[in-house]
Parts: sequence; structure tokens; C-alpha cells
Amino acid sequence: MIPEIGYIRPRNLREALEALGENRETIRVIAGGTDIIPGFHINSRRFRDIRTLVDISGLPDLTFVDLENDGLHIGGAVTFTDIVKNPIIREEYPLLAQAAFRVGSVQIRNRATIAGNFVNNAPCADSVPPLLVYDAVIKIQSTRSEKTLPLEDFLLKPYKTQLQPDEIVSEIVLPPLKKEYRGEFYKLGRRRSVAISRITLAVLVKLQDRTIEDIRIASGAVTPIGRRFRELEDLAKGETAEVDFLKELSVKLGEEILKITGLRWSSAYKLPVVQQMFYLLLRRVCNR
Amino acid sequence: MKKINIRFKVNGRQADLNIAPNKRLLDVLRDDLGLTGTKEGCDIGECGACTVVLNGRAVHSCLILAAQANGAEIITVEGLTQNGELHPLQKNFLEHGAVQCGFCIPGMLLSSYALLKENPHPREDDIKEAIAGNLCRCTGYKQIIQAVEAAANENNE
Ligand code: FES
Ligand code: FES
Repeated sequence: MIPEIGYIRPRNLREALEALGENRETIRVIAGGTDIIPGFHINSRRFRDIRTLVDISGLPDLTFVDLENDGLHIGGAVTFTDIVKNPIIREEYPLLAQAAFRVGSVQIRNRATIAGNFVNNAPCADSVPPLLVYDAVIKIQSTRSEKTLPLEDFLLKPYKTQLQPDEIVSEIVLPPLKKEYRGEFYKLGRRRSVAISRITLAVLVKLQDRTIEDIRIASGAVTPIGRRFRELEDLAKGETAEVDFLKELSVKLGEEILKITGLRWSSAYKLPVVQQMFYLLLRRVCNR
Repeated sequence: MKKINIRFKVNGRQADLNIAPNKRLLDVLRDDLGLTGTKEGCDIGECGACTVVLNGRAVHSCLILAAQANGAEIITVEGLTQNGELHPLQKNFLEHGAVQCGFCIPGMLLSSYALLKENPHPREDDIKEAIAGNLCRCTGYKQIIQAVEAAANENNE
């Protein structure tokens, strides 16, 4: 059952922020509803205090995709379907398009929004590893302030972000990316489609001849929250992209993840998968 | 709970409603408008039985508040039949034995309908992807895919 709630449909972002500002404790944003409505049904603790919903789905202020000098600006309420279909995203930021395509089902992708995917900081948010390797910066607005910060800093711990109750993630900015970067995205679920991720990996590499000039590595689902692996990245920069080194790097990624999560019942299958898949991804990007 | 006024078009007809804000689109379709062709399965976006087409896109009516559909154009399974004639998808579902108990069929039809509107010449993979979010407990997927293919071929003729 959906509890008794009030419903506000703002006409623009300003009105949405004003509504949020007035009633911080009991008001919450709804966009696609694909998280919040099932959450009501199972009486999830995360949504129990909500008395009023502010509906930002389809708000023109939040559903743009604009290419500007400082990168690609994606409105917070852009749906995954619109991400999958967007020619610029497919061309310039393909890992995000691939991850978006693996989210839920057609019906889910038609409603679920990009900011909605990470504002709850569920470990399995598919868009997060690609956004992290693209160095995504997010813009957060309220009636009090407007700030931008790296997505990486925004995500604090499972189901916890820097978002305050009166704030909205209004856009995501992907900085321009040099053409030489090659990337891969991998998702493992328990079934082929409509699956919740067990492991997601994203990697971007820039090679100069066979030397790794830059590399960005991110994981999701298999770690408590989506995250980058800066130490591994630093270790790999300047190395030659040959089989032995790529293997070594993959083993290290597995070790890193084990250090973060500790030994779990699922480690026995997830670790080898992470290592093997990461190695394959690296082979693919480095041999293209 | 304060009721709100909403209006949207269902199957070409204007509907004006005064509803509680916690009603889902699914509830309004079934209970207020009597359009019981739209089915309620899981209530959490897993089964696709509640699928309707909203502004041209297949969506779960169990995950949308009716208020969120204000101003929208909605198609339910009742809207597929035109002047007493079954839609080509419906005919082909019948001809290919795609309908067993029938519970998943309205959702399957609307997912397929949205697919063909957008992509009149789908490949088999496109059809599979379009109905990946629609579960059939009778597991007649093969026949369903064949029926969609046949309807698409008729489109081309
Ligand atoms: S009832 Fe809506 S997806 Fe199952
Ligand atoms: S025909 Fe029975 S569930 Fe599909």
C-alpha cells in the first residue's frame, strides 16, 4: 500500500525547490518512482517518514541533454531510455549508454532517471561506475545554495550521500573526453535481463603506443558503494600494456576488493569473475 | 487526505477524475474507469502485467501515481481493438497460440505495441528486449515472439 500522502506538481525547478525548502523533514522528490513506489509497498524504512511527494518527472528544467564547452550536461530527471537513445552519449560516453541499456526493463528505463539511480546510493546503481570513470561532476541546488562537486565525493556510504533534504541533483556534467580513450563496461546479474547487478566494472584507458598513459577503474555492486581505484590507477600509469602486467593488475583489483569487503560467502565466485572479467576488459581496450 | 483533480486521455477518451494522491495509475484504470484488462501482478515493477502505453512508451502502471499521468495519453489493452476489429497483434497472438491463461497478455500486447510503433521492423532480439520485462507464467514466450514477428510482417506488407 502507498501511505496517505500529499502530492505537489511543480511547474519548474524553482517551485520544486521552494516546496522542498518549506517542509524539509517530510517531503521527498519523486521522479520515475521505480524505487520509491516499490519501497512504499514493502514499507521500507527509507521512505516511512514521507508525507508529501514533489513530482519532478518530465520537468523541462531537468530533462535536457546539452553539449557545452565544459562537457555534456545531463538533466537529473533524464530517463535511461533517453540516455540510451541519445546520439552524443552513445558516441562520446558509450559506457554510460551501455550501462543505461542494462538497467531493468524497457518499462523501467522509460521512467527511471539518472539522478534517481544514484541519489539513494544503492551499491548496485548501474550508472555509477561509468559516471565515475568519466569523472562526472554533479550540480546540486536548493533555495539556499547551488554547488557542484565530483560524484565520487557525493557518494558517502551505502544509502548515504551528501544530499540534504531540501536539495535536488539538477544535473550531471561529463567533462570532455579525448578521443584516444577506450573503454569497456561489464555487468553481471543473476540472470540475463531485468537483473539487479552483482558485479559492475567500468574501465577507461588511454594508450600512448603500448604505454598506459592514463587509466580509470571503477566498480559497483561488488563493493559497498560504487568507487574508483586510484591506487591501482597510479600503479598502472606508465606501465606497458602487455599480458603479464594486465594479469597482475586484474589480480590486484580482486585483492583490493577483498580488502574492502572482507571475505563473504559470495567471494568464492565473485572474486575470480571480477579478476577474469577485468582482465578480458583490459585486453579488449588495449588491443583495439 | 486531500483529493486532487486530474485529467488524461485513455484510449482516445478524456477522463476527468477527483482522486486521492496515493492512487496508482493501475488503481484508477481498474477501479475508477473499469478498465480491468490491465492486470495487477507483483506491484513492484517485476512482472509487467500492468503495462500500459503512456505518451507512446510502455510503462508500469503499478509504479506511476495516477497524478503523475495528468495530461498524458494512455493506451490500455481495451484501446487496441478498433471498430470491433482486433489489432493485428491480437489476431496473431491468437493464431500463434500465444495465449494460454492470458494473464500476462495485455502487458505483452502493450509492450509489443510500443515496440512496433517505434520500430516497425524489429529483429528477434529487439522483440525479446521489448518483452524482457513481461513475465509469462505459462512460459509461452516462443509463440509470443512469433506472433509479434508475424504482426510486424503484416505491417510491412
Ligand atoms: S504489477 Fe506492475 S510490474 Fe507487476
Ligand atoms: S499466458 Fe499465462 S501467464 Fe502468460
